[in-house]
Amino acid sequence: MDNHLRKLENESIYIFRQSFRSIKNIAMLWSLGKDSNVMMWLAFKAFLGKLPFPVVHVDTKKKFKEMYEFRDIYEKKWDLNLIKGKCPPINKIDPSLPPAARSAARKTEGLKNILDQYKFKGIIAGIRRDEQGTRAKERIFSPRDESGKWDVKNQPPEFWDQSNFNYPDTVHIRIHPLLGWTEIDIWKYIKEQKIPIVDLYFSKNGKRYRSLGDEDITFPVDSNASNVDEIIEELKITKISERSGRAMDHEQEDVFEKLRTKGYM
Amino acid sequence: MDYSYSPKVVTVGHVDHGKSSFIGRLMYELGQVTEEKFQELKSVSAKRGVEFEFAFLLDALQDERNQGITIDTTQIFFKTERRNYIFIDAPGHKEFIKNMITGASSADIAFLIVDVAEGVKEQTKKHAYLLKILGFERVIVLYNKIDKIKYCQEKFTKINKELTAYLSKLEVEVHSSIPISAKNGDNISKNSEKTDWYLGGTVIDVLDGFSIKNNDHKNELRFPVQDIYKVGDKRIIVGRVESGKITNEDTLLFLPTNQIVKVKSLESWPKSKKEYNQGECVGITLDEQIFVDVGNIASRPGTPPKLMNRFEANVFWLSQSKLKLNKKYDLKINTGQYHVSINEIKKIIDTNNLQPKKNFNVTKNDICELVFHSSQLIPMDDYSHIKSTGRFCLLDENEIVAGGILNLKNFPDQKEVLSETKKNILPEEFYVSEIDRSVMLKHRPGIIWLTGLSGSGKSTIAKGVEKKLFSEHFNVFSLDGDNIRLGLNKDLSFSPEDRTENIRRTAEVAKLFSEAGFIVIVSLISPYRSERRKARDIRPEIFKLIYTKASLDICTKRDVKGLYAKAKSGEIKSFTGISSPYEEPEKPELIIDTEKENVNESIEKLYNFIKKEFSFS
Repeated sequence: MDNHLRKLENESIYIFRQSFRSIKNIAMLWSLGKDSNVMMWLAFKAFLGKLPFPVVHVDTKKKFKEMYEFRDIYEKKWDLNLIKGKCPPINKIDPSLPPAARSAARKTEGLKNILDQYKFKGIIAGIRRDEQGTRAKERIFSPRDESGKWDVKNQPPEFWDQSNFNYPDTVHIRIHPLLGWTEIDIWKYIKEQKIPIVDLYFSKNGKRYRSLGDEDITFPVDSNASNVDEIIEELKITKISERSGRAMDHEQEDVFEKLRTKGYM
Repeated sequence: MDYSYSPKVVTVGHVDHGKSSFIGRLMYELGQVTEEKFQELKSVSAKRGVEFEFAFLLDALQDERNQGITIDTTQIFFKTERRNYIFIDAPGHKEFIKNMITGASSADIAFLIVDVAEGVKEQTKKHAYLLKILGFERVIVLYNKIDKIKYCQEKFTKINKELTAYLSKLEVEVHSSIPISAKNGDNISKNSEKTDWYLGGTVIDVLDGFSIKNNDHKNELRFPVQDIYKVGDKRIIVGRVESGKITNEDTLLFLPTNQIVKVKSLESWPKSKKEYNQGECVGITLDEQIFVDVGNIASRPGTPPKLMNRFEANVFWLSQSKLKLNKKYDLKINTGQYHVSINEIKKIIDTNNLQPKKNFNVTKNDICELVFHSSQLIPMDDYSHIKSTGRFCLLDENEIVAGGILNLKNFPDQKEVLSETKKNILPEEFYVSEIDRSVMLKHRPGIIWLTGLSGSGKSTIAKGVEKKLFSEHFNVFSLDGDNIRLGLNKDLSFSPEDRTENIRRTAEVAKLFSEAGFIVIVSLISPYRSERRKARDIRPEIFKLIYTKASLDICTKRDVKGLYAKAKSGEIKSFTGISSPYEEPEKPELIIDTEKENVNESIEKLYNFIKKEFSFS
């Protein structure tokens, strides 16, 4: 493994172990995407082969069928304690949001329900800084109030691997072990470690998915990359951004920030 | 040079001196702004009626774009022909020092940016000083907006001299000084014709030529214990090698327990290696079972860290609330957390002239030298010796209030003292017994101290939890204040002195139980903060204070034992809450609110807490 990946891997393992040690009652989100599976793999490394906490799939019921198939296979294979979370219907969501964002916000509500039900104090999520400008501003350990809100203008300091874990009981912490990884790091690591992924990422008829979300608001990009090596080569030269196929990102300048301050991952 | 590693680069400096614009420009020149992004920025700039602004690339938040400043640190990824970089943009505004530190603390290379037209400003110096504390020994200085002074060499030289002199007083070396214009692109990727007097390389040349040194060339092993996992029959001590390397043939010294033991195996998933280097996470199993706790540090016996209970530090203060002398703070160093107090403020440094300030009030964003005291022995290193075990952060309740680097020159290492007492007083087999028990029992010993008013639910909860844990084969024992007063403490009254003695004896009994491997649950009103603190200090590493919270009103209404009625009628003198004070705990490890929770919820809460804290997973 090259030095850079080794460093990222060890940073992530350290974060996992620190979370489990310092936060009572944690769970990990599993969106079935590539980042999520890398995160799962790193968690196996951190806990030496067996996860000591449940895994949550917040199911919008609108994912691709390939994703559901993948979930059912690996739930068994990886011996996961899987919680399937439900999302509220679209008419329960803030109508001021643009259509695709409104649809994506269902997931935020689904997550809130899970938090209410299981009283998780820490939620591990596989977001990365290079995906999107406001995610770049995130902390590794990011506190949220009871409604899931992100107080982006007043984030706690975080330095020398030290973070604050003492919060009032109504606060939960979002834990981001992949924050420092880039899209290409993820693919190199998938290759290195032979991590299984949904094959929607590979090109069919000149199109592939760069990022997976709900089927109705996620679109493939033009690409001939049909295996991991070709994807890595493609990413070295592409000028198209990773989330360009995610309709919700492009409706308004600040839509992602709005979604995130309200609790979106 | 190793080009496979992607260095992290931070840009710091005074507000509005062009940090974000510089990064935006650099990305653009390297062809790494996607077409999509470029169009987005154009429309964002147009919408706000400003000239095309590269800073918007990084300033993604609405408020940042509207105010034209960076609020929080951000990271951006880019590559030159040589290697990949992670750029960290840190805010320059003095309100956001904590965000600047968050950004800069993880960086390998630092750019200090100065607006040549404006010159060296307050935050330029403050940031330079913080870079020193954060461990930067060399910086690259960028003199931005060189176009604004018409590319004048004289002005450049003058400012460069001034800043270099300041940095040399901090013992920070200037690696390069480059005149640039983020707006026009001078000397970013191409040498500018307008600065023909400048003979050095472009920003990209300098960056690619910067070699990252690790100055902890001591090769001394430091392995702070992060957690202890139980996997099958194995008891695995996990952690990260902070310095040096660890091999499967090592003999380790654990501090502060001062025990030497051989490594049996090194563990990682899916397979293990024979050797782990600095920065790598690994699990260790030991040849014999010794008591190891989170925060302990393993080293080689000949080159241990120091063991301190008094020490000095160079500290940056981040909190709105002022530093208070002799107040309890939590010190977090590596994986350990300790109660400490600050005994002395040696000086507060004015970063403008590096002179001590006249006052001794440490407030937000001050940099100062402090003397600390801890009731526990803490393994640590001088920052100049090993960085990662020589720095810490300070917590007050739920806020990180400060960070600092350690100076251990002026106080003695307590290792010698420790080995003397251990040798003379504590019988060896005692420790074997404690650890053997805890390994057999799959949990660590613990002292769970329930404090609260009479009738707040301490005994009820203790009994419930004891039963639940016992049914899961925990070695658990409930020590009730009332019962102890019938035997061991029956000579004691309820006067303040005797209450103190009551608590002392109970704490000592709890300690004996814990040494026998028990989780002991103590239910005792223990009304005074100072006494609870003393109880904690008997075995602080396993002591957990639990506050069973209920108002006096409710407790009086419950009055299960009829004691409140007697106290009110004067039949009982000196009754806590009625005629004697109860001081609420400042920072209990857990609060059980028995007004809001029912008995089963409270029991469940404490039960989960104990399992999480004391089980070997």
